[in-house]
Amino acid sequence: MSGAARTGTGPAVDRRTGAPLRLRPRSIVALVLVSLVGVAAFGWPLLVASSSVLAQATQTPLLFAVLLPLLLAVVLAELADGGMDAKTVAMLGVLAAVGAALRPLGTGIAGFEPVFFLLVLAGRAYGPGFGFALGSLTLFASALITAGVGPWLPFQMLGAGWVGAGAGLLPRLQGRAELGVLAAYGAVAGLAYGFALNLSFWPFVVGQASTIAYVPGDPVTANLGRFLAFTLTTSLAFDVPRAVLTATLVLVTGGPILRALRRAGRRAAFDTPVRFESTTRSQDPDRSPDLDRSPDHGDAWPAATGSEPPGDPRSGR
Amino acid sequence: MTSTGPPPPRDRRPRPAALRSLPRALHPGAWWLWALGLATAASRTTNPLVLVLVVAVAAQVVAARRSQAPWARSFTVFLKLGLVVVAIRVTAQVVFGASAPGNVIVTLPEVPLPAWFAGVSLGGPITQEALAAAVVDGLRLATVLACIGAANALANPKRLLAGLPAALYEVGVAVVVALSFAPSLATSVGRIRAARRLRGRPDRGLRSIVGVAMPVLEDALERSLALAAAMDSRGYGRRAAVPLATRRLTAGLTLGGLGGICLGVYGLLDGTSSAALGLSALLGGVLAAAAGLRLGGQRTVRSRYRPDPWRGPEWLTAGTGALVAAATIVAGVLDPAGLAPTLVPLAAVPLPWLPSVGILVALLPAWLTPLPPDAAASAARGASAERGLARTPAAAGEVAV
Repeated sequence: MSGAARTGTGPAVDRRTGAPLRLRPRSIVALVLVSLVGVAAFGWPLLVASSSVLAQATQTPLLFAVLLPLLLAVVLAELADGGMDAKTVAMLGVLAAVGAALRPLGTGIAGFEPVFFLLVLAGRAYGPGFGFALGSLTLFASALITAGVGPWLPFQMLGAGWVGAGAGLLPRLQGRAELGVLAAYGAVAGLAYGFALNLSFWPFVVGQASTIAYVPGDPVTANLGRFLAFTLTTSLAFDVPRAVLTATLVLVTGGPILRALRRAGRRAAFDTPVRFESTTRSQDPDRSPDLDRSPDHGDAWPAATGSEPPGDPRSGR
Repeated sequence: MTSTGPPPPRDRRPRPAALRSLPRALHPGAWWLWALGLATAASRTTNPLVLVLVVAVAAQVVAARRSQAPWARSFTVFLKLGLVVVAIRVTAQVVFGASAPGNVIVTLPEVPLPAWFAGVSLGGPITQEALAAAVVDGLRLATVLACIGAANALANPKRLLAGLPAALYEVGVAVVVALSFAPSLATSVGRIRAARRLRGRPDRGLRSIVGVAMPVLEDALERSLALAAAMDSRGYGRRAAVPLATRRLTAGLTLGGLGGICLGVYGLLDGTSSAALGLSALLGGVLAAAAGLRLGGQRTVRSRYRPDPWRGPEWLTAGTGALVAAATIVAGVLDPAGLAPTLVPLAAVPLPWLPSVGILVALLPAWLTPLPPDAAASAARGASAERGLARTPAAAGEVAV
């Protein structure tokens, strides 16, 4: 019993990085498999062999539109099973709310999409698992708030999840080098997100009779050329300013925001090992973990005084 | 009809079916099934008359049965989005149109492009037929968008969250936190801007944005910690004791299912192996992953507070959606020319009877479903005001919730 109960409370944390959402081997496998199918869902017009039954453009988008919600549900359930404790859920929810509030700001100005810079910084501060969950949940919450649910939502969720996860996978650096890498990554990720989403609706948004449309069964190079022409003419004017703005925002505000996120992470004590000890210091495995946790954690939270939680390996840094 | 003023007088006419059931919000799943049925019908035809009929039916039902919640206004947004799609379609056709036989309206100057732009042509003659096909194709997409917009306007997105599978409980809670926290961010911004004004610092302009954003973020993070403490103290995160065998089975089904889906998709994309093999791997993977998702829900222990009922009106709404889709699919087999009329040469477009009757059936939810509670309240208010009843302020306050 205790094994099942414990995964939900404290110790489901990556000890090395202090990430709030541990990526177990199971979760990693699930993420990789879902990402592989996601690559196919986005890129099928360029990947499909001309002899395949999927080369006809009419039913294939439908197939992926049905498949992707299931895949997202499975991978998010897998991440949640790996240990979404109350602190992770609250942090995810609050940051998703900030992202969802940032998103409408961008609709008026061409290419201004401030949500990406938050995803990059949060993914960086809290690791790839949290970054993926935050990316997809931000877009989901934003769609619910603005009543923008539609077949494009799973694609947006997956794309934003990748942006957040990728930021967590960048090599560890410090100071200016970290900010520089993050800004460059933000620019590239913004461009890639725009390309991927273009690709997802390209097969049906321009008619077959125009020369920038997806032609079923054509060689990849021919379709790629037409896709580049489509991107160039429709959305590059939005994608490039977005990439530049994301990079600028990361460079200008990344330092203080990363510090704020990391401090909140330390205060939440995601990486505090939870010990189940009685006051007499005798190991008693049959006691409920919830009863034992309160003295250990209860003091760490009303952290308005700035006190660091006891036993936090990162607090002395 | 987005204003909260008194509704048109036809709303107070007695409607037997609407009166029989008390005002309540219909299950969001029913509205989505209804809208997906209409969208299926729209996606299977290029007959502009049928497409316009679908938009009209969706608009009528939205007008009759939407609530006064903010999301109920999204239908017009989706209609405008549809117009943008039509514009993109037509512009792409005009600028990048391939030369095809037909009645040439106007010939644009052609621009030579480098060879690596495989086959892309810029400018050239524009024919009546190509333009009509572009408009109709754009209209079809716009109609599908309108159906999705109708679902967004009619279904309560927050109740849709309640339908998430149990394995997504934690994720759903995070989304609920996000939805309920987003409005309070505005309060936070207002408070911090007021504090800046009191300190004599600018509260407008670019520089103040950074000065406001950081405290707002710190405030949000602070509150997330307080919220987590509150959730923990109320027993959030308690999990059922799932036997080890079940957990292993869940993991096996989930990962095996994902692997099957992956193999199936790439097998289908590759095209060298048989389509049946790829499809069966895909289908098996989907079933296994769904079963894993269902089994994974065993770890959460919770009871449901006020579940959304699925009763007669829900069956009716979802059923009409299915009927519309079925009628269009059958008509596509029986009378393909009616659903995809010839546009070269342009001729008068017929209105096929079977899909039209099917689509008109989808109007029934506009009368045979219960009114949403807030619309019913305002209808009652409007009706009594018209009858000139003397109303005490207290009674008016009770109705105007």
